[in-house]
Amino acid sequence: MRRARRYDRPRFLVVITALVICYLFAPIAIVVLFSFNKENSLAVFGGFSTRWYVAFLHDGGIHASLAASLEIGVTTMVIAAVLGTTLALGLERSRLRAARVVEGTMMLNLVSPEIATAVAALLIFTQLGITLSLATVIAANATWAIAYVTIIVRSRLASLNSDVEEAALDLYASQWQTIRLVTLPLLWPAILASSLLVFVMSFDDFITTYFVSGLGVPPLPVRIYSMIRFGVTPEINAIGTLMTVATVSLALAALALFALRRTRSGSSVVTDLNG
Amino acid sequence: MRSRRAIFRVLLLPGTLWLAVLFVIPLGLVVAVSLAQTNIVGLPVYGLHLGNYQNVFQSYYLPVILRTVEYAAAATVIIGVLAYPTAYTIARFGGRFKNALIVLVILPWFVDYLVRIYAWVVILGDNGTLNGILHGLGMHGSPPVQFLNRPWAVIGGLVYTYFPFMVLPVYAALEQMDPALIEAGRDLYASGRQVFWHITLPLTSSGIVAGIVLTFLPSLGDFATAQLLGGSNTYMIGNLIADQFSNVGDITFGSALTVVLMSVLLVVIVGYLRRTSRRARAVRP
Repeated sequence: MRRARRYDRPRFLVVITALVICYLFAPIAIVVLFSFNKENSLAVFGGFSTRWYVAFLHDGGIHASLAASLEIGVTTMVIAAVLGTTLALGLERSRLRAARVVEGTMMLNLVSPEIATAVAALLIFTQLGITLSLATVIAANATWAIAYVTIIVRSRLASLNSDVEEAALDLYASQWQTIRLVTLPLLWPAILASSLLVFVMSFDDFITTYFVSGLGVPPLPVRIYSMIRFGVTPEINAIGTLMTVATVSLALAALALFALRRTRSGSSVVTDLNG
Repeated sequence: MRSRRAIFRVLLLPGTLWLAVLFVIPLGLVVAVSLAQTNIVGLPVYGLHLGNYQNVFQSYYLPVILRTVEYAAAATVIIGVLAYPTAYTIARFGGRFKNALIVLVILPWFVDYLVRIYAWVVILGDNGTLNGILHGLGMHGSPPVQFLNRPWAVIGGLVYTYFPFMVLPVYAALEQMDPALIEAGRDLYASGRQVFWHITLPLTSSGIVAGIVLTFLPSLGDFATAQLLGGSNTYMIGNLIADQFSNVGDITFGSALTVVLMSVLLVVIVGYLRRTSRRARAVRP
C-alpha cells in the first residue's frame, strides 16, 4: 500500500510546505512574543513581563470598544442564524424559479469586495437620514453574514434524507411541526457551527464596521486601526494576542462541530466546503 | 404537494427582503449617486452626469487603478505559487495528519484581519523586529532600513491575508483527484514532471481558478493593507474610495470608483461562470 513512491515525493515540496507554515505562523508568534516584552520595544526583547496586559486591564476605552464589538458579534450572529436558516430552507425546498435569483444575489453579495457593500450600506443609511450607530453596523454585517449561514446550513440540508420529513408529514404532523421537531434538530450542528463562524467574523470585521460605525464608541477593530495609525505599542500586541486566543478557539470549536457531523456522513471537511 | 411547499415559500421571504433592502437597493443607490453631481453643501443632485467617470479615468487617478490591478494580480500569482505546492504536499503526503495540517494552514485566517496586518508593521517597521535584528547583527549607527511604504510590503501583506482562500479550493480539487491516475501515468513511462503538467495540473485547474477568483477579488477591494503597510505612493482604489467617504471627500466620485470596482468584479465573475459552465458541458455532453 505504498501509494506515494519515493520518487514522487521531491524533498523541495516538503521544504516549501514547512517554510510556508513558518511564514504563516512567524508573524503571529512575534506579536505574541512581544506582548510579553518588559521593554516598550518591538525590536528588542528585554525580558518577560505582563505589563501590557495590565495596561489593557486598566484601559477603559478598550473595554467600551470590546463591549461594543461583543454586542455587534452576538446580535449579528442571532439575526444571521435566523434569517440564514430560513433562507436555506426556502432556497432548498421551495422549488421556486425566483429562488435562483435570490441565491444569485446572495452569492454576488458574498463575492463583492467588502468595501463596495460597505459603501453601499453607508449610502443607504445616510440618504435615509439614519444616524450611524451600533445598529447600523449590525444591519450591515448581518447582510454578508446571512450568506455564510445559508450556504453552510443548506449544504447540510441537501445531504439530509427527506424521507424522514415525508414520514412525519404522512403521520399527520403539520408542516411547522415537521420543521420544528424533525428538520431543525438535524440542522442544529450546522446552524451552531455557522453561527460561531459568523460571530467571530462580525466581531473581527473591520471594513464594513469602519464605514458604518459613526461617531460613538468605536468597535474594537476600528479602535485598533486608529491605535496602529497613531503608533505601535506592545499594548496592541497584548490585545491582538487575547483576540487571537479567543477567535482561534471559537473557530476551532466551529470546525470541530463541522468535522463531527462530516465524519458521521463520511466525507472530509474541506471537500464539503468546496462543494 | 403544493401545500407542502407553501411554508418554504414563506420562509424565503425574510432573508430575501433583508438582502433587497440592504444589498440590492443600496447598490442601485451607489450607481445613482455615481451619476449625480455634488451641490455647494456637498449633497448629491441626481441626474445623468458622467463627470465622475471621466474623473476616474483621468491621468491622476488612472495609475491608482492600474496599480490596484497590478498589486492584486501579483499577490494572486505569489499566493498560487506558494499555495499549490503546500496543498499538494498535504493532499498527497499528509497521511493521517492531512486534516490537522490543512486546519493548521487555514488557522491564521481566523486571527483578526487587523492583527495580521499589524504583525507585519511590527516586523517591518523602522523600530520593528527586522531592523532590531539587523541592528544586532552589527549595523550599529546606520539608519533603519525602510521596509514599509514600499510596493512589496503591500503585496506581501495581501499575500499573507488572502493565502487561505487559495489553499482551500486547490486542496479540495487535489483531494477529489484519483491518485491512481498519477500511478497510471508513471506506469506509462511519464516522468514525474510530465505527470504533473499533463495530468495533475489540468485535473486540478478548477480549484486553481476558484482560488484565483477568491484571492484576486478581495485583494482588489482591500484598503487597510495599503493604508498600514504602504504610503501615498502605494495607494490602491480602496484607499481612494475610503477617502471619498471621509469628511473631506466627494461621495459621487467615491460611488463612481465603487461602480468601477464592481464592474471589474462582474467581468471576473462572468468569465469564471462561463468557464465552469463550459467545463460542465464538456464533462456531461
